[in-house]
Amino acid sequence: MLEIFVLTEHRQGQIRDITFEMLTKGRDLAEKAGADLTAVVLGKDVREHAKTLSEYAKKVLLVEDKRLENFNSEVYKKVLSDLINKHKPLLIMIGHTSFGVDLAPSLAAALKLPLASDCINIEFEGATLLITRQMYGGKVNVKATVRKVGCYIVTVRQAAFSVQKLSMNGEIIEKSSSLTEEITSKRFIKYVSPPLSGVDITAADVLVGVGRGIKDESNIPAVEELARSLGGVLACSRPIVDKGWLPNDRQVGTSGKIVKPKLYIALGISGAFQHVLGMKSSDLIIAVNKDPNAPVFNFSDYGVVEDLFKLVSPLKNKICELKGHKI
Amino acid sequence: MDVIVCVKHVPETAEAEIKIDSTGKAVEKIGLVFDINESDDYALEEAIRIKEKLGGTVTALTVGSGDADSTLRKCLARGADQAIRLTDVKFNGSDSYATAKILHSAIKGLSFDLILTGALASDDGYTMVGPILAELLGIPHATMVKNIEFSDDVVKVNRELEGGVEEIVEVKLPVALSVQTGINEPRYVSILGIKKAMRKEIKVLGLVDIDLSENDVGEAGSWIVIEKMFVPPVEKQTEFIKGTPEEVAAKIAEIIKSRGLM
Amino acid sequence: MHFELDEEQKEIKRAVKEFCEKEFTPELALEFDEKEEFPTELYKKAAKLGFTSMRIHEDYDGQGYGLLEDCIVVEEMCRVDPGLGAAVSLGNLMVPDILLKHGTEEQKKKYIPPLAKGDAISAAAFSEPEHGSDITRMDTTAAKSGNEWIINGSKEFITNAPLADVFIVLCQTDPNVTPSHRGQSIFIMEKVTPGLEATKLKGKMGIRPCITGSLSLSDVKVNENNVVGELNKGFYYTLALFDETRITVAAQAVGMAQGAFERAFQYAKTRKQFGSPIIKFQGISFKLADMAVKIEAARMLTHKAAWLFDQGRLDPMATSMAKVFAGRVAMEVTDEAIQIYGGYGYLADYHVERFHRCAKITEIYEGTSEMQKLTIINQLLKRM
Repeated sequence: MLEIFVLTEHRQGQIRDITFEMLTKGRDLAEKAGADLTAVVLGKDVREHAKTLSEYAKKVLLVEDKRLENFNSEVYKKVLSDLINKHKPLLIMIGHTSFGVDLAPSLAAALKLPLASDCINIEFEGATLLITRQMYGGKVNVKATVRKVGCYIVTVRQAAFSVQKLSMNGEIIEKSSSLTEEITSKRFIKYVSPPLSGVDITAADVLVGVGRGIKDESNIPAVEELARSLGGVLACSRPIVDKGWLPNDRQVGTSGKIVKPKLYIALGISGAFQHVLGMKSSDLIIAVNKDPNAPVFNFSDYGVVEDLFKLVSPLKNKICELKGHKI
Repeated sequence: MDVIVCVKHVPETAEAEIKIDSTGKAVEKIGLVFDINESDDYALEEAIRIKEKLGGTVTALTVGSGDADSTLRKCLARGADQAIRLTDVKFNGSDSYATAKILHSAIKGLSFDLILTGALASDDGYTMVGPILAELLGIPHATMVKNIEFSDDVVKVNRELEGGVEEIVEVKLPVALSVQTGINEPRYVSILGIKKAMRKEIKVLGLVDIDLSENDVGEAGSWIVIEKMFVPPVEKQTEFIKGTPEEVAAKIAEIIKSRGLM
Repeated sequence: MHFELDEEQKEIKRAVKEFCEKEFTPELALEFDEKEEFPTELYKKAAKLGFTSMRIHEDYDGQGYGLLEDCIVVEEMCRVDPGLGAAVSLGNLMVPDILLKHGTEEQKKKYIPPLAKGDAISAAAFSEPEHGSDITRMDTTAAKSGNEWIINGSKEFITNAPLADVFIVLCQTDPNVTPSHRGQSIFIMEKVTPGLEATKLKGKMGIRPCITGSLSLSDVKVNENNVVGELNKGFYYTLALFDETRITVAAQAVGMAQGAFERAFQYAKTRKQFGSPIIKFQGISFKLADMAVKIEAARMLTHKAAWLFDQGRLDPMATSMAKVFAGRVAMEVTDEAIQIYGGYGYLADYHVERFHRCAKITEIYEGTSEMQKLTIINQLLKRM
């Protein structure tokens, strides 16, 4: 029986959402291909996870080993390679996450299996695998074919697929770990959280997010004032944190915070998916960008094609006026 | 510490308008400004800082056309000791896998302790050259690297995970690290740097100089072949607000007020 | 014959472009324009990267390039911002040039390296309240007393005067010789010299981050070793100096024109009237085409003048042609840029009015346009 593997991603006792998103998409693909959907979970004391996963998949392959306690691409590669060689699945789905991008490319190269990364859609046309992914920071989509073999690996973008639960009551199959000796080339040490600036952007009702378009650190105070006039907080996209203009707990996006404020004003943010994923569930999104084709406009309620600097001050004044404050 | 840094010459598109060209499989390159890929820029800076701190050499490598010389020269001007460009018409259409194979065939004859790449290319975004290269070389790797510390024969690196969390992993040298943006602050090119760079030669290698065949490179040697490129579908119908900045500001303020957000 | 920058020159252009585009932000430009303050931090940063010492020999911590490479840098700086660009590019003006040509080894070693590295600022005092274009007689006099010279007089419109650490001053050392310009000498002196006082001139039309001042000299005593080059050769040194430096003024003008043009071009592509971008109207697009042609022609003249200089074939006519033409082009192009912006162009926040205000100086300083035409016609009369 053909199989589609979904690799479970878990960290510090939690199965991460991407796993369920892949399982939902995987089930759809499995049905069409006449394959079984198999969730693969590697770890230490992860029987509970296996139970949870059995709701979503026909089978759950469970491998427990103390050396699998924390994610380690070298160890995972070894164990997964053995499972893949044994099962020869049609497709292996791995999240396009910090975990997946560390694992999938070397796994694919080791097994000489083709890998399509960061997919936002996956379909089979006969035996051909067709994937959709984005290029140029989300400004274009591409449809691509993957070199034809019997077994493919894909990494799947976060939040590309929604989650649907079914009571599959899948079978949990325990596999013994194929690890014989210690893998010493790479060792997990610990998790760390960078120091916080004390502002919790996830708690704010109003966020003003700034991106590359802000151009210079000296412009931060003006947008901060705008945020304050709305009783809100300033947030930002990745480049602003990279440049050190705002502390990292102000970053919205996959590597920062996921926010759902009542109002999100995006200023000079082009809308790369890493950022969009962090803010697209906001109740009301207003985007200002000079580029009329900026991807952020695909996710906004209101858009303004304009230089943000021309708008910040009049907008702040208008808001103060409507609030009856003195400017 | 001998460091190899792999860089890519890419169009700057973060703030540029992009058009799909007549083939329907690529973007129109006319009018776009090309430069070193953003995360590769950080990788280059990290390589130079390592050299300044620990001694050794920095070699910059790229797969690309002759135009990529400007990116290699930037590497040399910023402090790289030598540069190698891998160029062949047969390389056209290479995806990350084929690119990693080409890089591998050039690197395996070089001596090195560390390979640095950017975490992802801002054009194709495959996010995989570094770890594939590591696998082909039979060395360990780490991706999304935000900090690097050396001690004896290992490096301790911080990897960026989701939600603002990082993990620290220890990896044995030689190692390939894919560097995330923000790891350092890349320096400007100085005039002195340019002068030094111009005295250095860029070594150019083609398919005949490396032990790969035509089938290993280009589309034939790739995992992924692009069939068509298209404008992403709209998730939400955006209502565009037009007018002078004052008019637009007034309309936005009204919208915000009408939602009870004031 | 070839009309292209070589690879090295292209790299220089790219490096300075990257630096200026990141550092000369529009906000900083507005701020310094308003405050009329010298951007010291920017100047130091640019100097550390070598952008302000292109023509200074490597022996004195400079970059050892020619005038053409300097013009590339100056054009790029003024393209990004005319005020900050002029200020940064003029931070160490003329003192290294004159010392490299005529100074003693001791003077070179003492004064040039700090200027090359951006640790010091220099000023060159030629103009006087009564002598602008005509410097054949100086009212500032230097009288010998023992092994010292005692200098009295005043200088006007001196770039950097209120900030400079080191000055060169053109003085009348022989008041009786005929013609009077054969009795002029150049002195070098430091800020701390007693009797030397500078006051800042405020309210300039443009290049306001570039600080201009008046200089008063009352019984300023300098050692005879402070004479630059030979006694009574100052006038000739000055003419030759300007033949060199005014090429960089042409480069400033080209940069200012290019910067305003690029802004107007982008604006015309996005600004819509009567349902279409205004660049679709020939009234606008032909303006832009004309602007592009003028800038290219001005750049060619400038590069040619610089190239001739670098070949050791300084041609005063080529220099004057470049300066007079580039200066005019800068005025016309920045004027049209405002016109294309319409009402917005008249506002500071849209930047092009600043380009226009700054451009004017290129028709005035380092020899007015009229003086350039005089040079051109004199040269033509000699040659034809």
